[in-house]
Amino acid sequence: MKIRHLLFLPLLLLPALAAEKTGDYVESFDTTYNSLTVERRGSVVELRARSRRGEYIESAVDLNDPLKQVVGYTRTLYSGLFFQPKPERVLMIGLGGAAFHRLFAAAYPSVLLQTVELDPKVLELTQSRLGFKPTDQTPVALMDGRLYVKRSTQKWDWIILDAFRGGYVPPHLKTQEFYRECAARLADNGVFITNLHATTELFYADLKTLKSVFPQVVLFNTNGRGNVIACAVKYQTPLMSVPAAWPDPVTLNAPLQDRVDLRLVRSEQIPWPTAEVARAPLLTDDFAPVEFLDVMKTNNTKEKQ
Amino acid sequence: MSLIVFHTLVIVLGILSMGFQLLASRLLNPHFGSSIIVWAWLISTFLLAFSLGSMLGGWISCQPRPRRSRLQVAAAVLGVLTLAFTAFFGRAALDQIEIAFIDPGTGLLVSCLGLFFVPVTMLSSFGPQCVQYLAARGTTPGAASGLIYGISTVGNIAGVMLTAFALIPHFPVSSLLYLWLAVAVLSLGGLIAILRTVPESPSS
Repeated sequence: MKIRHLLFLPLLLLPALAAEKTGDYVESFDTTYNSLTVERRGSVVELRARSRRGEYIESAVDLNDPLKQVVGYTRTLYSGLFFQPKPERVLMIGLGGAAFHRLFAAAYPSVLLQTVELDPKVLELTQSRLGFKPTDQTPVALMDGRLYVKRSTQKWDWIILDAFRGGYVPPHLKTQEFYRECAARLADNGVFITNLHATTELFYADLKTLKSVFPQVVLFNTNGRGNVIACAVKYQTPLMSVPAAWPDPVTLNAPLQDRVDLRLVRSEQIPWPTAEVARAPLLTDDFAPVEFLDVMKTNNTKEKQ
Repeated sequence: MSLIVFHTLVIVLGILSMGFQLLASRLLNPHFGSSIIVWAWLISTFLLAFSLGSMLGGWISCQPRPRRSRLQVAAAVLGVLTLAFTAFFGRAALDQIEIAFIDPGTGLLVSCLGLFFVPVTMLSSFGPQCVQYLAARGTTPGAASGLIYGISTVGNIAGVMLTAFALIPHFPVSSLLYLWLAVAVLSLGGLIAILRTVPESPSS
């Protein structure tokens, strides 16, 4: 082989490099916004973000069973069905590995699930490594979530906030003003759903801030561990905290088949921590020491082991 | 005694400059997020202000006395007024900028230049004049500039650490901006009074 042919060899290999990765692997990527790790073990691919605490799992997908909710909290996001069982338009802030999206699109094919994601690399990896293909019903916009909400002129039946950066939520997505902006874009009978970590003092400040905007908030503790899903609504009545008044979980469960057990989700409702919330600060654009509250541990003994 | 006050004021100016950068990041946060992109624009704006402010201050320090005094007062007044605008109307301005500029990069550029560039440029213009003050009192120019920029940088460090770990966790950003405004009025006023005692420079 002539030397000039050898020079073209890397070009011949490019298509192979661009193809979807197969076999077990670990890859790391430093992007403008994140330090990401993608690891495949067998058929499961994890998307993790590096942070001070180590690596935080953003999402995981079983490529042999993409509808499976590998990370527990994504199934708890379906608690929104108790409060708005027939969503037609859903806005999700934060793409992650799109594990929630695949089941949602399969269960509710006619519902629009619009996602807004800040990091283009997350979208690229979710497509190339975790096998997610956005469609007309599951489009993804690349921009800051708060900017998207501010510029959105439409109403949403569900707004899901699941935006993290290496285990931290950006401070501007934690304030009273942001929650007001979300409430303004939420349909009157809509539900705002957010993924919270219950292991730091930020949790109580978050709840206080949510409650300052939304008259009613109900909490679900995924697997009794640190991930708490909060569902909040704009109306005072009817009361949303009484499970007996919620739609029948068995009926609701039908489109989700056995991927999510809504009876289990319903049983994970936890009481409102009144005393802790009373002591917590209200987070505003003017006062949001989110990073400091996020490193102050709560009493972890409250969590089930 | 006057030298102690003088050096204290140089440190305070250092605190004001860099502490203001952290407050600026909190002002921008709700509108543009807190990514490295925001920080790149913010740091570049402040460095540009330090650069042009130093050159402006060098030019002012060479002016004949009556004109020099007038320019010092003008720089201080402009710095205080633009800082007051940021403190009182910064959030309202950012609301409008965010709507007016769809592209976040352009919005950031306009925000940084409109709200932070001028006050920091005016604060920075006093650095070379402080060097001139020491040089006129007999300190060699090299030693004077080394001392001023050394203690000013100590003030910068104190400004960052104080603002990040003591002030922002406990006080609203709006209150801190009013505090910055009050300290700027007092420190610039004190510094102008001290700088009035600088004799004519040989080149003027």
